[in-house]
Amino acid sequence: MKETSKAVTAAAKTAKYLFMIVFVLVSVGPIAWAFISSFKTYAEINSSALSWPSGFRLDNYEAAFRYAPIAQYFLNSVVIVGCSVLVTVALVAMCSYIISRFDFKLKTVIVLLISASLMLPAQAISQPLFAIFQKLGIFDTKLGMVIVYSAMGIPMSFFVMTSYYKTISMALEESAYIDGATFLQTFWHIILPLAKPGLVTIALLQFINTWNEFYFALMLTSGNRARTVPIALNYYMGTFANNYSALFAAVVMTVLPTIFVFILLQRQVMESLTAGAVKG
Amino acid sequence: MILFALVYAAPIVTVLYTSLCNYTTFSAPVFQGIKNFVTIFSDQDFIVSIRNTLVWVVLQSTFHVGLGLAMALVLRRKPIGWKFVRTAYMIPNIVPTAATGVMFTLLLNPSFGIVKPFLEAFGIEVGQVPNLFGNSRYAFWTVTATWIFYSGFNTIIFLAEMGAVDKEIYEAARVDGAKPWQLDRYITLPLMKNIFGTCVTLASVAMVSQFDIIYMTTKGGPGNSTLNLPIYLYKAATLENNYGKANAVGVVQISIGLLLVLLVQRIFMEKKEA
Repeated sequence: MKETSKAVTAAAKTAKYLFMIVFVLVSVGPIAWAFISSFKTYAEINSSALSWPSGFRLDNYEAAFRYAPIAQYFLNSVVIVGCSVLVTVALVAMCSYIISRFDFKLKTVIVLLISASLMLPAQAISQPLFAIFQKLGIFDTKLGMVIVYSAMGIPMSFFVMTSYYKTISMALEESAYIDGATFLQTFWHIILPLAKPGLVTIALLQFINTWNEFYFALMLTSGNRARTVPIALNYYMGTFANNYSALFAAVVMTVLPTIFVFILLQRQVMESLTAGAVKG
Repeated sequence: MILFALVYAAPIVTVLYTSLCNYTTFSAPVFQGIKNFVTIFSDQDFIVSIRNTLVWVVLQSTFHVGLGLAMALVLRRKPIGWKFVRTAYMIPNIVPTAATGVMFTLLLNPSFGIVKPFLEAFGIEVGQVPNLFGNSRYAFWTVTATWIFYSGFNTIIFLAEMGAVDKEIYEAARVDGAKPWQLDRYITLPLMKNIFGTCVTLASVAMVSQFDIIYMTTKGGPGNSTLNLPIYLYKAATLENNYGKANAVGVVQISIGLLLVLLVQRIFMEKKEA
């Protein structure tokens, strides 16, 4: 009796670890494979999928840089993502605060509008946006991309931030007011420093979502001026469909920055994502 | 103060306003009633894309979310290496989806991908290595496979929720002689109902607007085997330049999204009352 239950536990344990190992392989395998292959020569890639590269060569990366203005795309991405993170955080920091602290007439309407836009499929509104952007002359500009991404990031950040502000005690502000601080002073010197963890959360959330965004980048850009990194991949796929070795290098270059950020800031990123999901 | 709210609300209102524009920009400002809707609903491809979208929603909210839950249950007890597994499992969820698409295109390429050595390793003889993305027989399932296993996001949501469960409940149950699997079955799982609803909602919304991977791998083809609403919309807008049609699809897409959210919420609300 005891023997069998022991055997069962052992089997369960093995199954558990097998489950874990299989999914780690499924998750990291393709990326690792692309990474290793990115150092192979064209001939090596073609001859065998599962061999090691014969040396540590950077030819493919060089080719990737030569074939497409990927450096420019990177720069675009950095500028666009950076600006949209700043805009989102700045706007949300102020507005969530107002919404979480004060009651005013349009409050319910605003909250309702924001939550409705959370559920909106991005593609559905892309054509009108495209038309508006062309009229405004911000189609295919970094400014346009920053506007879209900031607007897209606001709903989720808004809910995360509003519930964060609610955890900050009102007593602090009241005592600041008694000491004669103005509204803006209180907000700037008391609330913002306290809200820093929440702000970091929404900044990360916004960073990941924007860096990876593909659809609007595809729809709302047409030249190299405002294209972002994920679009670079599309460019490679279309233009150099046969130069697979450069494609490997390009994929690795798009994937690595996010992975680095993720591994460095793992705890915060996971908190951000969970907060975004649960509160949104 | 109100100024802040207005400045901030402006982009959102713009975005929402544009979605309302769907109703007025029917086929280059000229109003023509429901003609666009008649057109799309009599288009075989459109019907297929709705069907594919819905099949993907169902698969995603059951198998995909379930997988995330299973992984969370395994990791909950913090087995050796659980942190590593959690991180590794999360990686596919944070890399750009466009990159995932390219990666799978390369990985499953018939001439230099892993399909050939894989088949050879299992001693399966095929005259020609199947092109998993290019053959309409496999394409749908191949595309599905590029996202359905990657449930790390759901896993961390479940893990966070499980961490919030009061330890004393488990303690009490253990004292009463409950076995480990009983703890999971009768304590953890029932408490996960709400968050499961959240995950299903998120998964459905994501599937209704799934675009990147399909665009990068098959662009809806071959034929219409992997067509879904976003791809159909994109094609209508860019290839056919038929904005009215695209916006009609957009309206359908929004409606389906809303219906799904309401449906999911209803299902999980009822369960909560029971």
